[in-house]
Amino acid sequence: MAEAIRVRDLRKNYGDVQALDGLSLTVEEGEFFGLLGPNGAGKTTFINVLVGLVRETGGEAEVFGFDVETDYREARDRIGLAPQEFNVDRFFPIREVLCHKAGYHGIDHEEAQRRADEALKTVGIYEKRDTRFDWLSGGMKRRFMLARALVSDPELLILDEPTAGVDVQLRHDLWDIINRMNDEGTTILLTTHYIEEAERLCDRVAIVDSGRKVEVASPDELMSRGTDTVDVGLADPPTVAPTFDYDGVVESRMAEGRLEVVTSRGGALVPDLLRDLEAMGHEVTDLDIRRASLEEVFVDMTRTDSSVGGSSEAEEVVQ
Amino acid sequence: MNRFDLVGFRTLLRREILRYVRRPRNTFLPPMITNVLYFAVFGVVLGGRIDEIAGFRYILFILPGLIVLGSISNAFENASFSIFHGRWNEYIHEVITSPLSHTSMVLAYIFAAALRGLLVGAIIAGVGVVFLWLTGTPLGVAQPFYFAAFMLVIALLFASFGVVGGLWARDFDYLTVLNQFIIRPLVFFGGVFYSLDVIPEPFKTLSYLNPMIYMVNGVRYGMLSYADVDPDLALVVLTGLTLVVIAVDVYLFKEGYGLVD
Ligand SMILES: Nc1ncnc2c1ncn2[C@@H]1O[C@H](COP(=O)(O)OP(=O)(O)O)[C@@H](O)[C@H]1O
Ligand SMILES: [Mg+2]
Repeated sequence: MAEAIRVRDLRKNYGDVQALDGLSLTVEEGEFFGLLGPNGAGKTTFINVLVGLVRETGGEAEVFGFDVETDYREARDRIGLAPQEFNVDRFFPIREVLCHKAGYHGIDHEEAQRRADEALKTVGIYEKRDTRFDWLSGGMKRRFMLARALVSDPELLILDEPTAGVDVQLRHDLWDIINRMNDEGTTILLTTHYIEEAERLCDRVAIVDSGRKVEVASPDELMSRGTDTVDVGLADPPTVAPTFDYDGVVESRMAEGRLEVVTSRGGALVPDLLRDLEAMGHEVTDLDIRRASLEEVFVDMTRTDSSVGGSSEAEEVVQ
Repeated sequence: MNRFDLVGFRTLLRREILRYVRRPRNTFLPPMITNVLYFAVFGVVLGGRIDEIAGFRYILFILPGLIVLGSISNAFENASFSIFHGRWNEYIHEVITSPLSHTSMVLAYIFAAALRGLLVGAIIAGVGVVFLWLTGTPLGVAQPFYFAAFMLVIALLFASFGVVGGLWARDFDYLTVLNQFIIRPLVFFGGVFYSLDVIPEPFKTLSYLNPMIYMVNGVRYGMLSYADVDPDLALVVLTGLTLVVIAVDVYLFKEGYGLVD
């Protein structure tokens, strides 16, 4: 498969701040790729290198094989970006803003108008087409950002924290739209610091911190690195938790009258556990397995890294 | 993708032109009022007490200079404002992250701003014609080619300067400074209101260092067939200068000066 994004050893310094510190990663064509990291990790800087708003200090970046600097027109023609901050032309009604965006991509006026209407309908703000951006509500502004990214029918859709600060309904609407785009073959790069978002949507996730890649894996893989908790209800709970001495048991404890067994083997442990409990004379009333959240894995990873790199946000999350 | 991106260029050009055309009260009304005042005070009130200059009635003599003043300051202001405002509110990102070539971006900004300069020039000429008619002064365009060529070149030149200004500005004050403290004084001492023959040395010789002298006199030559400088030389030099500044604009866009972190 072709590569939608390929960056090698990307660096960006702002004075003393190393926003990107040797970032390397590859996003395959058609993939739904998540970039997960705390605030200040360098996610926006990375995206801005791809679209030409930031000039890298070192390294290489290609979009569909086109260098973002020497072949900038080819690279940018394939990208639709919904940036984190609002940056919309205030002089024109939103439908015209979309027509302009399409026009810059070489789409002639008639076709641009058709696409603009279509994009506005897709995100559900067609009836606001003659309004200027400043007059839209907060949620509509977010919807419009997505419409503007879609209007050129990009091969690579980049969404920089598209659901930051939006309500649940809108978040799900936006997720539906981008999922549909991805199903139709559009490559998606999504940055977020909402773990749930990455977990639900992404095929693969890169965890970044302090301008470096900490890990790349599928959300499932990442979660399998964490520990699961088997939560057992007992008819006559003891005060002290029974111990189990086989592989994969990290801890056994009583919490609010229930037995919690922390394990790195997940469900595979359950048959042994049930047999032992029975042998000990306990009657099991119910049993639940709680998987490690990606959040826990994420916090673990960025914490380890920040003890070297010096990012404070991840540590705050831990406390 | 090396061919000129005509659709993209046209789109940005159209956007830039519509931005000011749709706000005529901000764009066209102020220069109209200012120039009604200029013609009334300098042309009619003062002009009635001033002898002819170089054989022309005073009101006729200042007409070309006022056209130049209005054209270049509007061309400059439009390009610098449009780019600076887009940077300030970051919506210029819509343009600079698009697949438009740098040359297309720059030419669209320049052409739209130059057109605004020419439209304002036409309005001032219109105001002037009314006042000439009121004062019973005859008018013709003596050298249409020179008139058109000088107007076009100076509008393009100041639109191109405006691009530099818009990229360089860090604040709205910078734009005011450029327009009020540099362009206006140069124009006022650039022979709008007087012929170089009437001022004493060393100011006369010093005036030849002021580029505005060549623009004002070029346009005056186009209208009145009279100039204090050689119009052909002035046209060649101004054209060359315009091409150089346009090239600088394209270079600055390529480098991302003021646009890219
Ligand atoms: N224009 C800039 N000037 C100086 N520092 C910047 C600039 N942009 C970003 N930074 C710094 O670079 C780091 C990465 O920022 P950013 O890419 O916005 O992170 P993220 O999007 O992951 O939150 C931060 O420390 C930020 O303060
Ligand atoms: Mg960011």
